[in-house]
Amino acid sequence: MSPASRGAPLRRLLLWMGAGVLLAVWAFPVVWGLLTSFKTERDVLAYPPVWLFTPTLDNYREVIFGTSSILPNLWSSIVVSSASTLLTMLFAVPAAYAIARLRYPGKRASGFYVLATQMLPPVGLIIPYYLVLQKTGLLDSYSGLTAIYLTFSLPFAVWLMVSYFEDVPFEMEEAALLDRAGRMRTLWYVILPQVRGGIAVTTVFVFLNAWNEFLFAVVLGGNRVRPVTVAMFNFISVEQTQWARLAAGAMLAMAPVILIGLFAQRHIVKGLTVGAVKGGGRR
Amino acid sequence: MSVPAAYIPRPGDSLARQERRFALALLAPALLVLLVTTTAPLFYLAWNSLNRIDLGMPWLSGFAGLGNFAKMGSDPRFWNSLWLTLVYTGSTVVLQVLIGLSLALLVLQIPKGQGVLRVAAILPIVLAPVVVGLFWRTLVLSPEFGLVDLVTRSLGLGSHNWLGDPQLALVSVIAIHTWQWTPFAFLVLLATLATLPPDVYEAARLDRASAWQRFRHITLPLVRPAIMMVVIMRMMTALSAFAAIFAATGGGPGSSTEILNLYAYRTSFTELNIGYGASLAMVLLGITLAVSYFMFRLRRAR
Repeated sequence: MSPASRGAPLRRLLLWMGAGVLLAVWAFPVVWGLLTSFKTERDVLAYPPVWLFTPTLDNYREVIFGTSSILPNLWSSIVVSSASTLLTMLFAVPAAYAIARLRYPGKRASGFYVLATQMLPPVGLIIPYYLVLQKTGLLDSYSGLTAIYLTFSLPFAVWLMVSYFEDVPFEMEEAALLDRAGRMRTLWYVILPQVRGGIAVTTVFVFLNAWNEFLFAVVLGGNRVRPVTVAMFNFISVEQTQWARLAAGAMLAMAPVILIGLFAQRHIVKGLTVGAVKGGGRR
Repeated sequence: MSVPAAYIPRPGDSLARQERRFALALLAPALLVLLVTTTAPLFYLAWNSLNRIDLGMPWLSGFAGLGNFAKMGSDPRFWNSLWLTLVYTGSTVVLQVLIGLSLALLVLQIPKGQGVLRVAAILPIVLAPVVVGLFWRTLVLSPEFGLVDLVTRSLGLGSHNWLGDPQLALVSVIAIHTWQWTPFAFLVLLATLATLPPDVYEAARLDRASAWQRFRHITLPLVRPAIMMVVIMRMMTALSAFAAIFAATGGGPGSSTEILNLYAYRTSFTELNIGYGASLAMVLLGITLAVSYFMFRLRRAR
C-alpha cells in the first residue's frame, strides 16, 4: 500500500503535522521531565513556563549524594529485578519448550494452568503474601520480594517463550534426534540457539515489568528494600512537592527502562505483536 | 542445568516414554513454583475471605462464613467501586482500540518517519505506571501550573482542579491510562495492518469500492483477531490497574476514583480489615476470570 505517494501535498502536510503532534504527546513526559530535572525550583514554578534557562545539576547532586539520595533504592531495584528475571528465565525456558514441543499427558491442562495463573489480580495475592511474609519474617527482604515477583513474570515469560519455540521448524529436532543426539543435547545445541532472540526479548520484558512493579514493592518492601518506584513518593508531601528533585529522581529511576526501550525497540514491537497475535503475554 | 542420566536414551526405552519423562523434568520446576507462588496463596486468600480478620480490632477475629460477602450487599462503597471498575475498564479499552486503530491507519499513510513514531510509542509503554501517575499529577494536571491548565487558561476556559474535583478526577485517571496504553494497541495494529495483502486493496479499488467500504469489508475483518487480542490483554491490564491511580489520586477525592482494586487495597492495608479486603479481592478475581473466559470463548467463536 502506498496511498500517500499519490496524495495531495496538503493531505501529506496534515499527515505530517498529525504525526508531529503524536510524537510530542508520547514523548512529552520524558522530554518535559528531562527539562524540569535541570531547572531550579524557581524556574519550575515560573508561569508561563520557561524554555530557556540556565541548567543546573543541583537536583541530580541532591538525589544522588544528598540526604534524599535514591542510590539505595536504585540498588534495591537492581537486585530484585535482576534476581527475579534470572530465576524467571531459568524456570520459564524449559517449561515453555515442553509446552510448545513435547508430547505428554496433560499438555493442554498444564498450558491452561500457566495461562490461568496470569489472570490472578495482584491485589488478591498481596494479602496472603503479606500475612505469610509477616509470619516468616521475610517482609522487607530481598528474597521475599524476589520470590513474589515470579508470580507475574513466570506465566508471562512461559507464554512468550512458547510462541518463540513454536516458530522453530520441527525438522530441526527430528534430524538431531535421528542422529541420536539425545533430548537434552538437542534442546541445548539445536533448539536454544534458534530462539536466542526470543530469550532476549522475554528477558527484556520480564526485567522491565519487575523494574516497574509498584504494588508488591510498596506493601512487601520497607526501609531496607525499597525499589525506586516506591521511593518517588519521598519527593511528594502534603505541604510541598519538590518538583525538580522529583523529576531528577524519576529520570534516574526511568533511565534503565528508557534506554532498554530505545535500544531494543524493534524487538519490543515484535514481542508485543507475537504475544498479541498468538495469545501469549499480557503486557 | 545438569543432565540426569535418565534422559540419555537407553535400550528398551521407547521414544514416547522418554519424551514424557523429559517433558515432566522440564515442566516440574516451573509448575512447582507457580503452585507455591500463585495457587497456594489463592487458597489462603479464599480462606481469609471467609474470616473476620481486622488488625485494628483483633479481638473480633474468627470464622465468618459468607458474612464478608453478605456485607457487600449493603456497602455503597463496594457498589461504587464495582461501577467504577466497569466504567474504567470499558472506557479505557474502547478508547485504546478506537484511537489506536485510527492512529495506525493514519500513520500507515506516512511514507517515511514511521520508525520515529514507533520509538516514541515505546516510551509510554516502558515507563512505570506509578511514575506516569506522578508525572501527570504534578506536571500535567496540577492546577495553576500543569500543562493542561496552561492550555485551558490560554484558551480562556479557566483553571480546573483536574484531580481534586470528583467528576474530573475519574475522567483524568481514564485519560492517564488511555495515554499510557494506547501506544500498545497502536503498535500491534500497525504491525498487523502492515502485513495485509496489498493486491486485495488494488482489486477493491478497481471495483470502485469507497475508502469506507474498503475499511469495513476488507481491513476490519482482517484485523479483527488482532483487535480481539488487544481487547483481552488491555482488559486484563485495566482490571488490575493500580499504580497510576494510586499515584495520581490515591482513589480519591473521597472514593470517586476508587476502582475495586484500590478499594480492596485500602480496606486491607489502610483500614487493616484484611478479611473484608480478601473477600473484595475474591470478587475482583471472579470478575477477571469471568471476563477472560468470556473473551476467549468469543475469540474462538470467530
